[in-house]
Amino acid sequence: MSERSEPGLVPSPGDPGVPGGPASGGRAKRAGRGWRALAGDARIGALLLIVIVGAAVAAPLISPFPPNQIHQDAIFSGPTWPYLLGTDELGRDLLSRLLYGARLSLIVAGGAVLLAMVLGTVWGLAAGLFGRWVDAVLMRLVDGLLAIPQFLLALLLVAALGSSVPLLIVIIGLLNAPVVARLARSALLDEMSKDYAVAVAGTGARPIRLVWREFLPNVAPPLMVQAALVGAYAILTEAGLSFLGLGVEPPRASLGSLLLQGYQNLYNSQLYAVWPGLVIVAVVWSLNVLGDRLQEVFDPRGRR
Amino acid sequence: MLRFALRRLAGGALLLVIVSMVIFVLLRVLPGDPVLMRLGASTSAGTEEAVNQLRQELGLDAPLPIQYLDWMRGVLTGDLGVSYVSQFPVSTLIGQRIPATLQLAAAAIVLALVIAVPVALLGARWPGTIYDRLTSGGVTVAMAIPQFWLGLLLVSVFAVQLDWLPARGYVAFTEQPVEHLRLLLLPAVTLGVTLAAPIARFLRSSLADVSGNLYMRTAEGKGLMWGQAIVRHGLPNALMTTLTFVGLLAGQLLGGVVLVEYVFGWPGLGSLTVDAIAGRDYGILQGVILLLSAGFLVINLLIDLAYGLLNPRIRVGAS
Repeated sequence: MSERSEPGLVPSPGDPGVPGGPASGGRAKRAGRGWRALAGDARIGALLLIVIVGAAVAAPLISPFPPNQIHQDAIFSGPTWPYLLGTDELGRDLLSRLLYGARLSLIVAGGAVLLAMVLGTVWGLAAGLFGRWVDAVLMRLVDGLLAIPQFLLALLLVAALGSSVPLLIVIIGLLNAPVVARLARSALLDEMSKDYAVAVAGTGARPIRLVWREFLPNVAPPLMVQAALVGAYAILTEAGLSFLGLGVEPPRASLGSLLLQGYQNLYNSQLYAVWPGLVIVAVVWSLNVLGDRLQEVFDPRGRR
Repeated sequence: MLRFALRRLAGGALLLVIVSMVIFVLLRVLPGDPVLMRLGASTSAGTEEAVNQLRQELGLDAPLPIQYLDWMRGVLTGDLGVSYVSQFPVSTLIGQRIPATLQLAAAAIVLALVIAVPVALLGARWPGTIYDRLTSGGVTVAMAIPQFWLGLLLVSVFAVQLDWLPARGYVAFTEQPVEHLRLLLLPAVTLGVTLAAPIARFLRSSLADVSGNLYMRTAEGKGLMWGQAIVRHGLPNALMTTLTFVGLLAGQLLGGVVLVEYVFGWPGLGSLTVDAIAGRDYGILQGVILLLSAGFLVINLLIDLAYGLLNPRIRVGAS
């Protein structure tokens, strides 16, 4: 449908028997092909993500000041040396707080993605493999959970259980597991109907082995696309929760808690709330375009 | 059509029951004893009797399935229980807040369509041009913007720096119509712009799908200008699929509404939810979440039915 030129020749790494599949070629070669497969905006997205994640990981090394260090002589300073992005109501360096904030938000999002993917995959595969009433119960639970507005559920869980960093990871991860489960199940059922699956099953391989050796590698691509989207959603959820004062609590910096403080100080400093928002937009945009592009690469035919 | 409609209705009803069970179980499992909440922190020692009595009054000593059925019986008769904090009926509290939320949502949806439809149409008219690329690039960026952050930026520019509009608040339209609209403007724009982005994107791609169809070729062949053909034949079809997509987005949008209402002090369901969370008022939360989930399901069901009504292929395929 799209008028954009069809890559067409990019092999789907999951397709068995496609020459030049994942088994052939060195790692460097594969990385090179991956890079070439990315369209312009996805390359920018990949670079942005690398820069932001790199800066977040290296925050203790590169941040100019400790994130909570107070400079009483420089309250609400504009972006001037040595405070490159300015300072806040206590004279804390905003760049340092932004670096540490991004670090914490990315930890929460990364943990949530990991949990959602593992839990969701097990959930979906269990439903698909056991079938019958297990399938029915597990999938109706997915339907029910997905019908409740996710952010409201997140609010409820955080309010009831608390909002330490591990809890935030668990809550956001849990909330994103159902959508992964649905995807994993349909990918599994798709694969099971293919000839190779019937052949492997015919050899008498145990189901677990079948899943581990044959299905997982083949259902991985759609799951990776979903992981990117879950990551974007997790960043936004953390920001929203912390912005309401229910997530990461000040003085600890996260992208959301920085936005909350920026909001509270809107009349004193207009730039305060701009920086963390820009970082959120950059991360979410990057994950979205990467997800879109991965989708096209993995499944050129299934494009809408 | 009847069979199709009945199947969808039954599916929707089943889902609603599941949703109500999930919410019920969640609220019972989560920490926070409604009885202790209600009696307040003042109850320390020697009031175990009072606690038990209240527990009995509220029916909280019954087995869980009975409690669930009691709750559902109330829900079906319009009784959503009472606020644990203020003791007001939840249905009353929700009723007071719904108009503001609906008004904001309606303004946002109208605004979103006013922005998205021309953007998508022009992109579909001249695919691959600079305009098309710029707008689709802009749309992907707009889709990554957290709604409440956009709200913050708008307040920062138009209320704080330029001082053209009030930053937050609400007055009834009947009292001060002009001020009411001035207060509505920023939150409506915030929601409208962020909602316009996914709609424009989806509409743009369904317009491209539609353009390849034979009926479009026929329409152009019989001498209609591209604009006439697309408006009469293409757009209605593309809008229909887009509507389904927007229905699925509604759940996510609700999360955004909560935050935007909070930023602008707009007294709708979102602020009610935030206040209830702050006060750990599970009575209100239970009602609000059930209502919003039901609303989400009903919207999607209606879209589904409308779609089946307008497009016979769907209902044939489904049955």
